[in-house]
This record gives sequence, structure tokens and C-alpha cells, in this order.
Amino acid sequence: MIRNDYIPFPSRILEVIRHTEIEYTFRMEYQGEVKPGQFFEVSIPKYGEAPISVSGIGENFIDLTIRRVGKVTNAVFERYAGDLLLLRGPYGNGFELSDYQGKDLIVIAGGTGLSPVRAVVDYFSEHPQERGRMTLISGFKTPHDILFRQDLKRWEESMDVILTVDCAEEDTACQIGLVTKYIPDIPLGDVKNTAAIVVGPPAMMRFSVQGLLAIGLPEENIWISQERKMCCGLGKCGHCKIGDTYVCLDGPVFNYTKGKFLVD
Amino acid sequence: MGFCIQEAQFNAILKEWQKQYHIYAPKVYKGGGRFSDTDCIRYGEISQINEIVFDRKSQYSFKEILTPVSQTLFYFTEGETKEADGPRKGAVLFLRSCDLHGLKRLDDMYLQNGPADYYYSRLRENIKIVLMGCGHSFENCFCVSMGTNQSTNYDLSIDRQEDGTYLADCRDPQWNRQLAEAGCASQEVVPQYVTENAVRVTIPETLTAEAADSRLWDQYDSRCIHCGRCNFVCPTCTCFTMQDLFYSENGKVGERRRVWASCMVDGFTDVAGGGSYRQKNGQRMRFKVLHKVLDYKQRNGYHMCVGCGRCDDICPEYISFSNCVNQLEEAMTEVKQK
Amino acid sequence: MDINTKGLKKNAFRITKERGLTASRIRVPGGHLDAKYLGKIQQIAETFGNGTVHITSRQGFEIPGIPFEKIPEVNKALQELIDGMEINQDEAGAGYPASGTRNITACIGNRVCPFACYDTTAFAKRIEKAVFPNDLHFKIALTGCPNDCAKVRMHDFGIMGMTLPQFEPDRCVSCGACVKACKTKSVEALKTVNYRPQRDERRCIGCGECVINCPNAAWTRSQKKYYRLTLLGRTGKKNPRMGEDFIKWADEDSIIKIILNTYDYVKEYIDPNAPGGKEHIGYIVDRTGFEEFKKWALRDVNLPDIAEVTTPVYWKGVKY
Repeated sequence: MIRNDYIPFPSRILEVIRHTEIEYTFRMEYQGEVKPGQFFEVSIPKYGEAPISVSGIGENFIDLTIRRVGKVTNAVFERYAGDLLLLRGPYGNGFELSDYQGKDLIVIAGGTGLSPVRAVVDYFSEHPQERGRMTLISGFKTPHDILFRQDLKRWEESMDVILTVDCAEEDTACQIGLVTKYIPDIPLGDVKNTAAIVVGPPAMMRFSVQGLLAIGLPEENIWISQERKMCCGLGKCGHCKIGDTYVCLDGPVFNYTKGKFLVD
Repeated sequence: MGFCIQEAQFNAILKEWQKQYHIYAPKVYKGGGRFSDTDCIRYGEISQINEIVFDRKSQYSFKEILTPVSQTLFYFTEGETKEADGPRKGAVLFLRSCDLHGLKRLDDMYLQNGPADYYYSRLRENIKIVLMGCGHSFENCFCVSMGTNQSTNYDLSIDRQEDGTYLADCRDPQWNRQLAEAGCASQEVVPQYVTENAVRVTIPETLTAEAADSRLWDQYDSRCIHCGRCNFVCPTCTCFTMQDLFYSENGKVGERRRVWASCMVDGFTDVAGGGSYRQKNGQRMRFKVLHKVLDYKQRNGYHMCVGCGRCDDICPEYISFSNCVNQLEEAMTEVKQK
Repeated sequence: MDINTKGLKKNAFRITKERGLTASRIRVPGGHLDAKYLGKIQQIAETFGNGTVHITSRQGFEIPGIPFEKIPEVNKALQELIDGMEINQDEAGAGYPASGTRNITACIGNRVCPFACYDTTAFAKRIEKAVFPNDLHFKIALTGCPNDCAKVRMHDFGIMGMTLPQFEPDRCVSCGACVKACKTKSVEALKTVNYRPQRDERRCIGCGECVINCPNAAWTRSQKKYYRLTLLGRTGKKNPRMGEDFIKWADEDSIIKIILNTYDYVKEYIDPNAPGGKEHIGYIVDRTGFEEFKKWALRDVNLPDIAEVTTPVYWKGVKY
């Protein structure tokens, strides 16, 4: 008998962590295999489903960082610790830690793009011996949009963290400018042994990858994560198809040698 | 085994089949066309053989039997979900060769692309195929170009004769017995198929995704009205969108369903927060066309399009898919020169 | 020359500004005819008239420049047209038996137009059969849909095609095409509820835009055809005005019955001293009151259950 993959399972909210007015992390009860960069379909009956990437992985939980932008996420924001959400997943390939282990690592994240990569950064923050030099460039629109402030503080202890905002009205502790501005200044060792992960809005990813290629990183050392409308997560609904690729099955994480062909 | 089946014999057989199966075939929905006093030919349940339309092509394909336009996945109340009931009977599908090839594509999408789909399997597992032979090609058909003009994986084939009898080739042992017992005269039968279409399509060997950069697509920005008819009539389009709804104001009870979606219609690529891809109609046309004659083959080893020509038949703006495909050669030359 | 002008006019000829010359008026119910009759019209114009033909504002033909003495010959020549267009006649070869009730006009209808909700010509011919010949001054026009290309509101009876849209929820793909079309091209009778269109029955004018725009045949037309009947529009010197709605969702039989009933009403109430025996029905209704008209018009009429009758009807227009 074929399994019914469409029926979600209930999961309890263990904790709600507020980052900004519209971005919260919901720590959800979860036991099972899951990789950073994979995603779940989160739903509340009557409101529908939304694909949310895993932003943190713990022993008995996963973190789902959710931006309040629509019907479903609005409804999710009405839920508190102790309430239930429905989940399906995990879906997608996620980041393979082995791709980065033993290498210098550059992570460039734009806005909420930090969520899917957060668990990777967290892992290498806690296991610095498993990688070489690590640089995180994390960009946000304004200081109000900054996510994972405490994590960013903590990560600073074990890696180079460049926190930047596109623009700021008041004095701010972070840098000002687009993430691409900082790419040429990344301290580089052997580019052949340097891996990079780029996650964020399409334009930001395009220019960041260009920047990385310009400083000498080979294409095959760069990974990107694509955001698309993933309705089913099962390779059926067709919304996330780009060329011959289904982002929900073959991605959302792509090596750039493949990812560069994903053009809409 | 081959048979000649009389109309009355066929009706008796259909009656027998109905005990186990819903019988679906292309039939006339009188007055069901877009325009006043026009009919619609599409799939529906039949109980008499003469309800089946042989002399015209169905406007919509059979796919709605196996992938319903709107399919409830489960019902929910406050804390519980209840799976929607499955079919109680199997289904006999009367298909032409192009559509039977279309079925293979549905199978590959729903059963092979990612995990097998529960709801599709449920409808798929107990079906029988009756192949409707094609004595001649219809307008816009290009099955010969797509290699879908002939099929052998049927349970029964039928060709309607001038005198109202049906020539049938049966490959199902149980049905063979049934036809013999019904007194149908046995004779050698080869199902009819077409070997030539007025429309021929050539998909260039050199076709790559680079064709996206051609100016070919620009004309569709203004010509296409992004209505999605080409997708809805296509036997191989399978996209859907999930919908949650509630039945009442107090919102305690509702359902989650999946509903056909179209890559030509607004909203298909919308992501949370307002982003969307392929906003121009030409880009959507390119996405659809290259899926049918390029992307799918890269993934599955054979073309998605079966050449039924329904997209050309239905387009209110007279956009021809086959004509577009035939311009791809030139498009590739153009992008190579850039 | 001794000519009975009353008889001549009744025979569908005209007194023209040129002494001794008349013009013959040819009825074309529904404004659609076999092309072969154009040749006949040409022949009459060239044989008896001045070689020209006027296409009338009521979709007929008028052949000017015919000498009075040629009338009998013209009437004989007209027979082919009268037969071909199935015009009721008292005596073969004697031309048209009346001219008071004017040619019944129609837009091109669903034989050609994608918006039309019915075969306007066929219905026009059916009405023609029922009402002609008649000396009373009635103007009837039909149009295929609420676009009203035939400008039926300028006529005593205006007939506008409607379809009662049928919705099959399980065929709906939530594309929003119907809602958008209804909003931008019609009366915004649809809104989206739970991903699907909800139709405001009171607002819907039955134009069929939802059906035309639905890509998946979720909206289809009703098997029954429906009509909006507008009343007593008119041109003229005193008080030109647009016809007003009388019945929404009327059926064909009822409309014919109402028109026939109105002939009885007019016979009863027309001003016996009206100039030329001609009085627009509207002025008669103004005199008797709408209720009296309605009593006559709806006698023995069985309207469909969904029909909505407006009563009383008020007209506006320009008053001089």
C-alpha cells in the first residue's frame, strides 16, 4: 500500500522566539531525521500550507523561522507555545555537511535566507575543528529586520561575522551596504579548498555568486538554495519546476554547476 | 482475440462491466459549449455504446478521471483529519492512442517523480483500457510526429464500422471469454491507427534551454491571454494547487483539496511575500513549450507532448503549439548566433 | 392621377417628395437573408426604380424611384422575396398586406456572434409569423445579449438574450477568469468565496461572460434560453425615451403572448382620432396607466418561476 504523504502530523510548539515584528521562530516538537536546508509544509486547517525551511535542529525539536506574509503565516502567528501546528516533511535534499567539512567555508545570506542556512552555521560554530576558516556575511534590509541577533553574537566567537544592512537611518552597530560589497575582502586561503553557500533573494544570489567567482572560487565549490512555490513537496504539483528540475525533490540546495542552469 | 461486436451485444457487455466499473468515454454535453447552441465533447460516464463520440475529438482529455479537477484529500475538524473516501468501483476508460500514451506520462509523473501519489494510485489501480481506433486524423493532430499514433497496451480495441458494428481486438482473458459467450463473431482484427497527419512537428535535436533567450517568445506576450485552456485540455499537464477551505462561519469543519493549476495563469509561481516568476505571457509559453518538448525528455527520456493537438483546438487566440515547436529550430540558430 | 395614399402606404409603398414616384419597402425579419435575394432586389431596383437601393434603419430595403403605375408589377416581382422570407400574406402577387407593424430587427445573434445568447433571427422570424400583418404601429427589436448592439431599448418591445449560468463547482480551477470578466466587462455579480465564484443572483444580468471566459467548462449555459423584455422605448418629436425593464428572465412563449396581448390592448385604447391612425403605444399607456396595460399584457401569460416582473414601470426620456 502506498503511503498517504498528504496527511500532516500534529506537532507541538515548544517555544516561540521573536526576532522582529513579523519574523518569529517556532520551535517545534520533532523526532526524526532532518537536515539543514530541508523544509516542512506547515499548515493550519482552513488556512492552508506553507513551505518553511528548517532553521535549527535539536535533539527533540526543529526550528521553523516564519515570516508573517500571508494567510497561513498570519494564522500561525496566532499560535503560542503549547499549541499544535500540522506538519508534513521533511522535504528536499538539504545541505550535506560533508560537502563543507575540512574546507574553509563562506556563507552569504540575504534576509530570511539566513534561516535555511542557520543550522549549518550553528553546526560549524559548535564544531570548528571540522572546518577551516569560516566567514559569514549576513545582510538585512534595515536594522529592524535583523534575525537571530543572539546567534550572530555567539557565532562571532568562532568565525568572521559580517553583519550588514542595506540602509540605516540611525547609528547602528552593524555595517552598511549590500552583502556583495564585502566579498572581495573575505580572507582567502586555498580557493580550491574553500566552499561557499549563498542563500537569499534571486538578485542577491546572482550577484553574490558572481562576486565569489570573481575572487577565484570554482563553480563546483558554491552551493545555493532556491526558493520557489512548493505546494506539495512531493514532485507532483509542478509549481517549483525550473527546467528539468523540481526544486522540492532535487533541491532546494543546488551545487552551482547545476544551479546556474536554473533560470526562470 | 478479434471480434465483431453488434451494438446490442456491446450494450449488454457495458451493462455487465458496470457492475465492477464506471465506464468513461468522450460524449456530447449538449449545449455545454462556451458559445450559445454549441456542445462540449468531454469525458463522462456512459451506459450505451452510441453515447460515445467517435467522429470528433474530445475537447478535454480523459485525465480528469484519474486526476480530478478538484480532489478532496481529507476533511478536518478541530483536532482530527479524515481521509476522503476512495473509489468504490474501478474504471473502464475509452481512449484514443494519443491519450493512452498520455496515461503513461501521468503514471510517470504521479508514480515515479518523487514518492508515488496515494490518491492517484487509488484511482489508477483498477482501470481497464479500451482503445478507440483512429481511422483518420483530426484537425491539429500530430501524433505521428510524436510517435503516439499507435498503442498496444490496451485491454480491448474498438473500431466503429459504417454498419454500426464494432471491430474489436481483445487482450484481456476474462473479456475474451465474455465476448465469446456473448456470441460475438470472432475474426482477425488490427486496430486502426493513422500513419499521417496534416500537421507535422519537428523538434530540433539541438534544442537546449538556451532557446529561452530567443525572440520567438516575445510575440506571445501580447497574443496570449494567459487563460490556461491549453493546460486544462492537455492530457499530460498535471499541475495542481492545494486549497484549504471551511464550510461554515464558525470554521470548525473543512477540507483540504487539490485543484488543477496552470502555468499560464496568474499566481502559479507566486511565493510568500509577493514575489513571482515568469510574469510575461511569452515566458509562460516558453516554460510550457519547453516542458513538453525538452525538460520532460531530459528527466524521463521521452517527450511529454503526445501530439493530440487539443491545445491548438481550444486556444481562443488561435495560438498553435505545433507551429511554435516548429519555430524552435530557427530559435536555436538565433540564440547560437548571439 | 388618382391614388389612394392610405391603401398605398398599407401596401408598404411610400409617398415620396417627388410627385408620381413611390418607394417599395422590403421586410427582412431578423435582418438576415439568403444572399440570392439581393439579386432580386437589384433587379427590381434596376427594372422599376432608379437603380439605387436604400438599406433602411430597420434592416429592410427600400427601392426608390418607382412610378406609381409600376406598383402592380413590382408587387408581382416582390413575391419571390415575400415567399423566400416567409412573410404572411393575404393574396399572392399583391405585395405586402400591411406596413404598420414594422420590420422586426435583430443583431446578428448566435449564428455568428460569440456573445449572443440565442438565434436572434430565428426568434425574429417567429415573432414576425405571430404578429404580421398588422396595421398597428409596433416596433420590435431583438438583441443577442445585454451589450444591446441592436439598440432594442429604442423600440416598443426590446428583447435581450440572457443565459442563466450553471456552475459545476468540481470543474472550477479557481483561476478567477469569470470574476474578473464579470467585474471588468459586466456588472460585478461574482465574487470569490472559498476559492470559487459566488453569483449574486439579483445582480446577474445573464450576459454569459462567465461562461465565455471559463477555461474549464465549470460555467455553462442553461439549457433554457431567457430574455430581458424592455418596454416602450421610442423616438419621435414629443417625448423620446429609452425602453425600461419589464421582465427579467422571461421565456420566448411569454414574450410572444405579451406582444399579441398588447395588440388587443392597443385596439381597445388607441385614440380613434390619432393622426393617421398612428399612436405610439407609450402614449396610450401614459393615458390608461401602467396597471391597465399590465393587466392586458400579462393575460394568460405563464412566466418561468425565476422571472422578475418590474411593476410599475416608470419612463424618463426627453420631454418637449
